[in-house]
Amino acid sequence: MPEQERYFNTLVQQYSEPLYWHVRAMVGNHEDADDLLQDIFIKVWSSLSRFRGEADVFTWLWRIATNETLSHLRKARVRAALSFVRIDETAERISDPDPYFDGNEAMRALRKAIAALPNKQRLVFTMRYYEELSYEQISEITGTSVGALKASYHIAYEKIKQHLTE
Amino acid sequence: MKRNFPYSTPSGYFDNLQSRLSRIPARRTRINFIPYLALAVSFSLLVLIGNYVLTKSTASQPASDEDIIEYLIDSGTTLAQLEDAEYNY
Repeated sequence: MPEQERYFNTLVQQYSEPLYWHVRAMVGNHEDADDLLQDIFIKVWSSLSRFRGEADVFTWLWRIATNETLSHLRKARVRAALSFVRIDETAERISDPDPYFDGNEAMRALRKAIAALPNKQRLVFTMRYYEELSYEQISEITGTSVGALKASYHIAYEKIKQHLTE
Repeated sequence: MKRNFPYSTPSGYFDNLQSRLSRIPARRTRINFIPYLALAVSFSLLVLIGNYVLTKSTASQPASDEDIIEYLIDSGTTLAQLEDAEYNY
């Protein structure tokens, strides 16, 4: 087996599960996360020869996954807009009964509130809240300044709080 | 996920996922041949079409006796040589 393929398989073994949860926190449902993970690892394989190790592997993988996920969410929003579905209806659909959702009512409400956030705020919030990544790590992954990330997180937090108290 | 995460997956999902993802290099290597194959087919088609057009254009216009004589004169053949060739023919 060529060395590149062996390295790819090591990445799959070490990172496929945490990457799945990273994507799942963003998109909500299992099927979308599964499809996206396939696309992400295809991209990882096709750009592996160009990976020179300037960034560490974690940052590199999370950057690819984040970009793919944001692109998926953007397309989903455009599709929703074209079919005249309101954003809150999209969020409602994300919160539909899901066989792979184990949370209580409070968690369900939180899920719905996160789904109603704009994509970038959703990204920052889930990376901070669920993955507990530092602002510096998120900044390296997204290429956004720490100050802008803090502002996004604060706005997202306020929106969620308002959503949960309504 | 560090914080209490409310999601789960179908049982055995991650074992299955890893074996599916590990097959990506083999699949993508096969797919990478397609552009080269397409290039080879295009080049072959171009050669075939070019060859067809050239042979058709030359075959559809047979050279007349006058053309042949003109060619021979241009290439330095003398009248005596032409008469000699006609006599031997």
